[in-house]
Amino acid sequence: MGRVSPYVSRMKQWTDPKIRKSLCLFCSLGCGVAFRCNGDQAKELDYDKENPVCNGALCPRGHYNIELLTHPGRLMEPMIGRRRVGWSEALAFFHQELKLFRPEEIGLVLSTNASCEDACLAARLAKLIGTDKLAAAGEPADLEAYRGYQYGVPGAQLAKLEEIDNSEALLIAGDLLVRSPVLSQRINKVKYGKRGNKIIVIDPNKTHTAWFATTHLRNKPGTEALVLAALAGADLDPALIAERTGLSPAALAAAARDFNAAATGTIIVAPGANKQRNDLLVYFAKLLSIGLPNKKFISFYSGGNTLGVNTVLDREAEGHASYAELLGKIDSGEIKAMIMLGEDLAPAHPELGNKIRHLKFVARSAHFPQADAYETTVQLPLASQLDGGGSYQLADGSKEEPVPVTPKAGAKTNAEIMALIMNTELDVGKLKTEMAASLAGGIKTVNADPGEIMDGCRAIVAGADRPDEQITHFGNNDLVKRFFWFRLKAGELS
Amino acid sequence: MEQADVRIDSAVPRERFNNKRIYLNLDLCCGCQSCAAACCYGHFIQSLLAHAAVSGDADLPLHCQQCDQPACAAACPNDAMKTMADGIVLRSQFKCVGCSSCTLACPFGVEHIYLTRHIVPKCDLCVDRLAEGELPRCVQSCTSGALTFEAIDDQAALGKKQLASARLISNAVGRRR
Repeated sequence: MGRVSPYVSRMKQWTDPKIRKSLCLFCSLGCGVAFRCNGDQAKELDYDKENPVCNGALCPRGHYNIELLTHPGRLMEPMIGRRRVGWSEALAFFHQELKLFRPEEIGLVLSTNASCEDACLAARLAKLIGTDKLAAAGEPADLEAYRGYQYGVPGAQLAKLEEIDNSEALLIAGDLLVRSPVLSQRINKVKYGKRGNKIIVIDPNKTHTAWFATTHLRNKPGTEALVLAALAGADLDPALIAERTGLSPAALAAAARDFNAAATGTIIVAPGANKQRNDLLVYFAKLLSIGLPNKKFISFYSGGNTLGVNTVLDREAEGHASYAELLGKIDSGEIKAMIMLGEDLAPAHPELGNKIRHLKFVARSAHFPQADAYETTVQLPLASQLDGGGSYQLADGSKEEPVPVTPKAGAKTNAEIMALIMNTELDVGKLKTEMAASLAGGIKTVNADPGEIMDGCRAIVAGADRPDEQITHFGNNDLVKRFFWFRLKAGELS
Repeated sequence: MEQADVRIDSAVPRERFNNKRIYLNLDLCCGCQSCAAACCYGHFIQSLLAHAAVSGDADLPLHCQQCDQPACAAACPNDAMKTMADGIVLRSQFKCVGCSSCTLACPFGVEHIYLTRHIVPKCDLCVDRLAEGELPRCVQSCTSGALTFEAIDDQAALGKKQLASARLISNAVGRRR
């Protein structure tokens, strides 16, 4: 046997080496990610150098994609409680349990990482069950930002990623690089692209994003929307703004002058969960973009398909509940059974995970099994975009359809699971046409009440001084906390 | 399968990657640690990279400089560190006993002991990827473009150019004053 040398291409040792490309959906940026496969088996992570979104780069979270394919603990067969069962037994148990509840006692949540087809079928499933308690579940900050995105502001345009590159000034609200570090290459391109380019960052903390700022507006925590309102020229008392935000009128005027002077500019919103009004933040970003020449806005979400899922649900299931309303109904006892469609909705969102413990029946589709599942919990193995495919709408409004990297061994996509539940044949072509029609309708706008908006602004009260938060690139996503790298960093594996 | 197909070469010639090293541009680094994650995933869940938090404001990757006369190799009592023909300093994971002599000897402080396995990880420039003509994982995954894999001579020339420009400016400013 020859000497084991480090100068060996690992791929050369495989029988059928291939490189397959897909999409990362751990945030709404949609970076390309590649996998080195031996036949149909993914072995190693690689980088998609031809992808125009990331140019081969990948953030720490993006590296977890390989574990969605190779993690030994991945849920591959259905479970009732902690018992592994076949699909037919799991579905029979599901139907038998669901018959015990009235339709209005059943709730249905869909992850914002699910595909647009999943959203289309979820609306149909809710109609079949006869419940209106259907909601998209994701980061509350994201959903709040989406509500702001729905406020109709005629003329406001969503920026494309290449337009960020071509901007002469960026106005960033929140810690963008914690959410999507890959955007740092675009920020660097703007900062060092031309002399005089400006990066204005609104954030109370000296964050990683603020390192790149040419002007850092360190407002009081929770008042980001008020700063944007001031820059947009909202009808508010300057003394009130100065008192609440902690920023002098001169500093705000200088920032507004710099941003206005740039030939092209983009306002980027990174929704945050720290007391700030994310809906107002996005609303004022839109308002500011139409008030100045050649300015556009964009908001990045932590759920990969936040825009797509919400847009399709709004079109297909009119009058569906919001996530907050659904949580309230669990508290009040109106919901007694829950169907959760999406990757680890319960552990990733503690507010939901804690509440469902009081429910009589829970069915969940997930990538990983829940260790402490009750006897009345059905767990169905879920395929991700890497082995299930699907259509997704990213932050800049572009639509992506990643090709599955490996065949889904025992798992099924949410759409397939719902078709099994409804006992119907899944007509993918027809579903895609319906979903495309929904997306073509665009986002369902809501008329903003100016009085209510202004009241909201006046109600923003700066929080007490807080210590700087620990900056992490892992977010609050409990899914990633199962992975080796996170556990290694957290010291769990030592 | 014949071993000849499996093994590319026992030593990559120096010209193969033109004596290149990893460089960090401090102005571009956003401290996201994707380089460490990439290193970890590429080396069987064991990051070979150290990260230093500089006064809380910056979090910078510390790469092995692959010295011409490595102090770590000189200090190693078990002969675990070896300089290869191409200039890369490699560590044998079977010979390393985790005595941490190299961590004390390293003038750049980039060697760090890995307590779980009682060994000292050491950057190998991802030679398995270099053998394929690819970039090291940390450089390829760098989100901000701060890490580059460049020839030492190119970097030295760039440094000289920058130094010359700085001198020119300082001279001009000095004369005006």
